[in-house]
Amino acid sequence: MSNLTKRYGARVAVDDVSFEVGRGEVVGFLGPNGAGKTTTLRILAGVLGPTSGSVTVAGHDLVHASLEARRHIGYMPEAVPLYPEMRVVEYLRFRADLKQVGRSQRARFVDEAMDRAGVLEVAHRTIDHLSKGYRQRVGIADAIVAKPAVLVLDEPTAGLDPNQIRHARALVRELGREHTVVVSTHILSEVEACATRVLLIHHGRLVAQGSTSEIRAMRQAVAVDVTVRGNVAAADAALRSTPGVASVERVETVEPFARFRATFDGALSPEDRPGATERIVGVMVGAGLGVSEVRACGGSLEDVFAALTQDPGSPLG
Amino acid sequence: MRSFWPIYKRELFAFFVTPLAWVLIVAFLVVQGMHFFIVIDHLARQVDIASDETPVRAFFGNTVLLYLVLFMLVPPMTMRSFAEERRSGTIETLMSGPVSTAAVVLAKYAAVLTTYVVMWLPTVLYLLILARTGALDGPAAAGAYLGVLLVGAGYLAIGTCASALARSQFVAMIWTAFALLVLFLIGMGEFVTREGTTFHDVAVHVSVWGHMNDFASGIVDSRHLVFYGTLIVLPLFIATRAVDAWRWG
Repeated sequence: MSNLTKRYGARVAVDDVSFEVGRGEVVGFLGPNGAGKTTTLRILAGVLGPTSGSVTVAGHDLVHASLEARRHIGYMPEAVPLYPEMRVVEYLRFRADLKQVGRSQRARFVDEAMDRAGVLEVAHRTIDHLSKGYRQRVGIADAIVAKPAVLVLDEPTAGLDPNQIRHARALVRELGREHTVVVSTHILSEVEACATRVLLIHHGRLVAQGSTSEIRAMRQAVAVDVTVRGNVAAADAALRSTPGVASVERVETVEPFARFRATFDGALSPEDRPGATERIVGVMVGAGLGVSEVRACGGSLEDVFAALTQDPGSPLG
Repeated sequence: MRSFWPIYKRELFAFFVTPLAWVLIVAFLVVQGMHFFIVIDHLARQVDIASDETPVRAFFGNTVLLYLVLFMLVPPMTMRSFAEERRSGTIETLMSGPVSTAAVVLAKYAAVLTTYVVMWLPTVLYLLILARTGALDGPAAAGAYLGVLLVGAGYLAIGTCASALARSQFVAMIWTAFALLVLFLIGMGEFVTREGTTFHDVAVHVSVWGHMNDFASGIVDSRHLVFYGTLIVLPLFIATRAVDAWRWG
């Protein structure tokens, strides 16, 4: 995908985005809501045409050899639209037929897709009567039914309960062994859970890309919340004297506990921050205070984006 | 065009698995049955029948009942085609497959046209009844069914186009009914304008009423064929462009 741009009138939804995804990679497409993730994925799936730029899927140009290129893509939109009046197996047979799976292979491909997505037990139920979790899995079964080279999954865990999210992430990881997977999300921990590489998109622009471990390294804590029991004034003074702490603020006092937020010195390197946290706890215990809770703050997606946009010379930019 | 058949089959499935198709077919057959009864009863009471008045002519031509039924049936038949897929978002999964826009439009159109033909099939029984009791005017009957097929095909193409353009099923239904009515009323202009004026000529040319009267008499005019060819191709072409515009918008 190179120099991709999509405009809606004067509004630019995707601005000059270029990236490449290799065989067998699971790429996480990460960005806040409205960043242009879905638009990019729709273009990648051949549903929308780009305003300019080109997309090549398995050697086929998505604009000029659209049908050929689309044969190699399995796409699941965010809302997982399905035909409610069809049974699961009927729907998947129709989709396999549409995706030009030969008659002789169709039943086998459908069975395999249902097995991998875990919808065999609802194969003969009407889609209308399925729960959100099953509908999501039927969507995944549809995406993989023709064994495409590239899977494009738009927020595959949206609207699922925590248990289903774990299943969905495991499934995405497993699909990555056979397919090239592009998966979008606005949750940082999600890409960490299932992607090997991460693309960060913000305001329609690709702001950074790197391996999952590189992104993880950027998730540094900006502050530490400590809850202590004892002399509040002494705790405040002890915290301020700790090396690496730039400012201290009392967040909350629920007798006999007081919660402080110690913000790190911005110059502190990511490697030194765990050490600073240990020092804080040491100092508090040394001052005779009871420490009941220590929690790292920050490291959210917003913080990563803030770090990236403030520091253009970041190693990932 | 390989994608035509799966979509065509799914459209028919969707139509007949929901009650809508059956309700429409039953309503259609009830009205047509009553219509046939009225025509036969009327002719049977005539002591002196004009020589050119036959049951086939009276059933298919010179009757507003035919159009009333089509105005009621065509909009609900076609309203879902694209509007429903767009509302539910399934158009997105549909278009992400290796399908051409023309194949999608043609498959959806062919499915409603097939349903329309299925609706009319039982009325062939009326002709069999007529043939048992007297001489059946074969060419007139064949012409009448050709006319019914062409008028329906044109109307359904307009409905398919409206569904591709409209934001919702309801809007598609209203637009279709409106377009069909306007087309019919322009044709009616034949009777309220003076002969020789341009409007009169136009009215005669697009008069569905006039066309059906000819077809029901066994007259197949090539101008009529061209007119219905246009009435089918043009809306379907616009529908294809509309679906493409959605993709490139």
